[in-house]
Amino acid sequence: MNTASPTVTLSDDQRDCYQELTNVAMGQAADRLARLLGEYVVLPIPRVNLIESSDLRMALEGYGEDSSVSAVCQGFIGSGIAGEALLVFNDTSFKDLARLTRREQDLTHNGQLELLMDVSSLLIGACIQGIGEQLEVHFNQGHPVVLGQHCNVRDILKAGNELWTKTLAIEIHYTMESVNVDCDLLLLFTEDSVLRLNQKIDYLLD
Amino acid sequence: MSNQGNIELGDIHWLMDILQNIDVGLVVMDSEYRIQLWNGFMESHSGLSPQVAKGENLFKLFPDIPETWFREKCQPVFQLKTRTFTIWEQRPYLFHFKNYRPITGRATFMYQNTAIIPLESISRSIDHICVIIYDVTDIAINRRDHELQLAAIQPGRDTPSCSASIIAPAIPAASALEVTNKPEPAAPDITAHQIKPQATETIESAVIVRDRHSWDDTLNRQLARCARSEQPGCLVCLQIDNNSSHYDESLLALFNRSLRQSDTAYHCDDLLFALLDNSDAGDARFFAERVRKAIKRLGDHYSVSIGIAPYIDEFESGEDWQLAAEEALLQARHQGLDCNQVFEP
Repeated sequence: MNTASPTVTLSDDQRDCYQELTNVAMGQAADRLARLLGEYVVLPIPRVNLIESSDLRMALEGYGEDSSVSAVCQGFIGSGIAGEALLVFNDTSFKDLARLTRREQDLTHNGQLELLMDVSSLLIGACIQGIGEQLEVHFNQGHPVVLGQHCNVRDILKAGNELWTKTLAIEIHYTMESVNVDCDLLLLFTEDSVLRLNQKIDYLLD
Repeated sequence: MSNQGNIELGDIHWLMDILQNIDVGLVVMDSEYRIQLWNGFMESHSGLSPQVAKGENLFKLFPDIPETWFREKCQPVFQLKTRTFTIWEQRPYLFHFKNYRPITGRATFMYQNTAIIPLESISRSIDHICVIIYDVTDIAINRRDHELQLAAIQPGRDTPSCSASIIAPAIPAASALEVTNKPEPAAPDITAHQIKPQATETIESAVIVRDRHSWDDTLNRQLARCARSEQPGCLVCLQIDNNSSHYDESLLALFNRSLRQSDTAYHCDDLLFALLDNSDAGDARFFAERVRKAIKRLGDHYSVSIGIAPYIDEFESGEDWQLAAEEALLQARHQGLDCNQVFEP
C-alpha cells in the first residue's frame, strides 16, 4: 500500500497542545455527565500517544483478562480529519450507574444498553464537539455501534482495520468519587488525519 | 451551521426539494414536542400530510411512542446542545412504519436508528430539535439471522447444528466485532459435525417435520387459514439455553408427546418449532410453560427459552410469522433464558 507516505511524529509541544485541547473538551463532557448523574466526576489527565494500531489493546490493559466489559464506538469525520471514539465500560459500573439514574429496577440486558447509549451519547458527543470547536472543525458523527456487551476486552479489538498503521490515541479514564463507576474514553485518529491535525495544532501554537 | 450564511433565498426552493425527496425521515419539533417540519419520507410512510402533522403534539399524534423514554433522549439535546442517538437494538423503531420492501423484504416493520440534533435559533438558544430517522431494516435482519446462527453453534460433541463453514462467510470483519458477547464457537469440533445424527430420526413420529419445503407449505397454509377464518393460531419457537446440550431423543420425544394431533412441529438445526392450531397466545403460553417445565425435569443441564408468535393480520407470509417467533425467542434469551416470551409487534 502507500508505504511511501510521510511518517507522522508528535513533538512535545504538540503533545501538550493535544492534552490541553482534550482537557477543555472533556471538562465539558464531565460536566454533562455530572449533571446527568448528580455525582462529582474526577477529572483525569488525558494521555496522548502515537501508537501502532496493533497496540491498541495495550491502551486498554487496565482491564484484566477476565473482567467483563461493554463498549460502544462512534465514527466521526470533518475537514478530512477522521477517527473513532471508543467508550469502554467495566460491567461492574452498571449497578451504580443505574442507581444514580434511578433505573435500578431494570438492570436487564436492555436496561444496560440504554445506560450505555445514554452515557456514550453524552461523553462522546461533548468531547468530539469540544475538540471540534477549538479546532474550528465541524465533525459529523456516525451512528454509535455497540461493539459488545459483557465481553472480554480482547474480543472488542480483535478484528481491526489494518489500513492505517499508526493512530493518535487520546485516552481519558473517567472515574467517580465514592461510587464504583469507571470507563475509558479513547479518541482515535487515523494516520492521515494526524498530519492535518498537526497542521491545525501548529497554527494554534504559533 | 457555519455555512448557512451562504444559502441565498433563491436556493431555498431546491433545498426544499431535497428535503422532500431525501430518503431519511426528518422531523423538527419545538420544546413542547409540537411538530414543525415533516418531510416527504415521513409523509409517505406515515400517511399523514405535513398539513395534518404541523403543530400537532408528537405523542398525541403517535400514542405508541414511549413518551418518557423519548423525552429522556431529547432532554440533553435541548439542555446541553448535544446530539443523541438511538439504535434499533434499544427499540426496533420510533415510528411504526411498514417495511420499505413489502414484497421481498422479510421484516414486517421498518427497523430504525435515529439521531436527534439541536437546532440553534438566532439567539443561540435551542428552541427546536430535529429527529432524523434512518431505515436500518436490512442491517437488523442480517444481524438477527447472524445471532440465531451463532446461537446455533454448540460446542458440544454430538452437535446437531449448522456447520461453521456455512456461517463463516456471512461474518464480515465489522460485524464479527459486534456479536462478541456470544460464546466462542469451538470451530474444529463443529466442522466435523455438519450433519445431524441420523439416530434421532427413528424416535420422531411423523409430526416433527424436517423438510424445509413441506414446513413452509404448512406454515403458509395455516397462515391463510387464520387470515380467512379468524381462528387464532400460534407459532412457538424453542431453543436449548445451554450450548453444550443438544436435542437428544428424550427431549424430542417429550416435545412430540406434548403436541396435539392437529399441531405440526419442525426441527431445523437448533430450533424446534410448533404450529399450534386454533390456539391463542394464552393457550400457547400454557403449552410453552408445560413443555419448559417438563424439559427441566429431564435433567439439570436442560433449560429452554421459548418464543411465541400469535397470528396477526400484519403477517404477509409464513416467513414473517417465523421471524416473529424467532424475535420473541431472542427476547426471551435476552431476558435471562429459561422463560417464554410472546411476540409484541
